[in-house]
Amino acid sequence: MKDCKAVREQLALLLYGELSFDEEERIESHLDACVDCRAALKREKELHAAFDQYEATPSPSLLRDCREDLAIRLMEEAAVPRPAHDGWWDRLIDALTWRPTGALMRPVGALTLMAIGFGAARMLPASLSANAQFAGLVPGAARVRYVEPASDGKIQIVLDETRQRIVSGRLDDQQIKTLLLTAAKDPSDPGLRAETVDILNTRAQSADVRDALIYSVQRDQNAGVRMKALDGLKPYAQEPEVRAALTQVLLKDSNPGLRTQAIDLLTKGSSVDRQVIGTLQELMLRGEQQGYVRERCRRVLEAMNASLETY
Amino acid sequence: MALKSGLQMDESALIRAAQDGDHAAFEQLVRAYDQSVLRLAMNLLRSPEDANDVYQEAFLRVYRNLHSFRFDCSFHTWLYRIVTNLCLDQMRKRKVRKEEPTVLATAEGPLDRMDAVPEERVDGDPQRHLFSGQVRRRIREVLGELTPRERMVFELRHYQGLRLRRIGEVLGTTEEAAKNCLFRATQKMRAALGDFI
Ligand SMILES: [Zn+2]
Repeated sequence: MKDCKAVREQLALLLYGELSFDEEERIESHLDACVDCRAALKREKELHAAFDQYEATPSPSLLRDCREDLAIRLMEEAAVPRPAHDGWWDRLIDALTWRPTGALMRPVGALTLMAIGFGAARMLPASLSANAQFAGLVPGAARVRYVEPASDGKIQIVLDETRQRIVSGRLDDQQIKTLLLTAAKDPSDPGLRAETVDILNTRAQSADVRDALIYSVQRDQNAGVRMKALDGLKPYAQEPEVRAALTQVLLKDSNPGLRTQAIDLLTKGSSVDRQVIGTLQELMLRGEQQGYVRERCRRVLEAMNASLETY
Repeated sequence: MALKSGLQMDESALIRAAQDGDHAAFEQLVRAYDQSVLRLAMNLLRSPEDANDVYQEAFLRVYRNLHSFRFDCSFHTWLYRIVTNLCLDQMRKRKVRKEEPTVLATAEGPLDRMDAVPEERVDGDPQRHLFSGQVRRRIREVLGELTPRERMVFELRHYQGLRLRRIGEVLGTTEEAAKNCLFRATQKMRAALGDFI
């Protein structure tokens, strides 16, 4: 049939539904009459199906990587206003060629924070930058891997990110502090938490650092970390919120060493407040199981001339 | 349609909020479109790294230029202009370099990285398995022979399901020109694949 060639050329557009009403009519009526063109249409459909099979679907991990990268880019973008002519590729090159070694080698001065790695990022401090809203783009864009104090008073923080990054600043820098406070709660790495708590201990005069230590001493899964946090809180054992934390340690911690220290700290000084006495009495009443703790309680209460039962 | 206009209103509100510096709104915009953007880039470029580059650059450009978005086309069209331009640039660069990053040279000859990935949909059907090898390779070759523009129009119509009129808007041309482009692309592919399918 003389129309066959013209019809076959239009089959793809027919399948895509991109023919005009009239064109479609003409082809449909030809197909009704022409068995060869119907076969050609069938092959055209198979061709389409083959194309469907060829489609590359991005993996979920690629999507996640893209989102994480973008969150970081956007934070950088918003944090550092750049002139319009400074192209993205320039910055990409900057980012790719920038290596942490330079900052690591930097001499004495402030704190240096180093960021390495990539990862199943979990935690991005909400105030890491002024633009941390972008952190919402990803489940988490950065995670503190480990921290390291240097003799000069600097601190290095290693961040897990989609790419290496160094954050540098003094401990009184809010961004640095925020990273440290985040690292102190990193659930995946007790070593990191211990190192971080060591650093935070030197700054326990600041209330938010103390809050972090209080959090650690009560909530950290690792007794070693709790012990370190307790060390940092020792000089502030008279502060009400520290005393409340120590009381919780005494009542709830499973580690006898920590609990004994808590008793010592709570009962240090000439006068022991009635609340502490009450706590000790409560422990005795509920039949304290840890012998050393029980003994310590008993001795303190005796020294206070307090009843072993009630006050 | 009430539902559609409701969605559109939501999107304009989102865009306006993002223009006013609302990062959460910007994030929602990204989330609304980023999967199809990534799918487009990945399917065209066949390289996760390049697809990620396009993704980053596209949304950064959106971020930088959103303030100048005037609602004289849909946000989708505007975004796709950016994305298709980036992809076309990349495809043209490759044409110049004659570089096909999805093909790895191996001792047994060139290997398509996509072919190297086990087919999820292969279900022990030998016919299907044959497809994922030979035909897939042939389709790749044929798609590679299209001009970047033809490839793009085909991509947008076949894989992204955009109407030709929209494709014309995205690519800055007429519906008719997009139609001709798609026509040429399908003719070439039918000629090349006729024996295989
Ligand atoms: Zn016919």
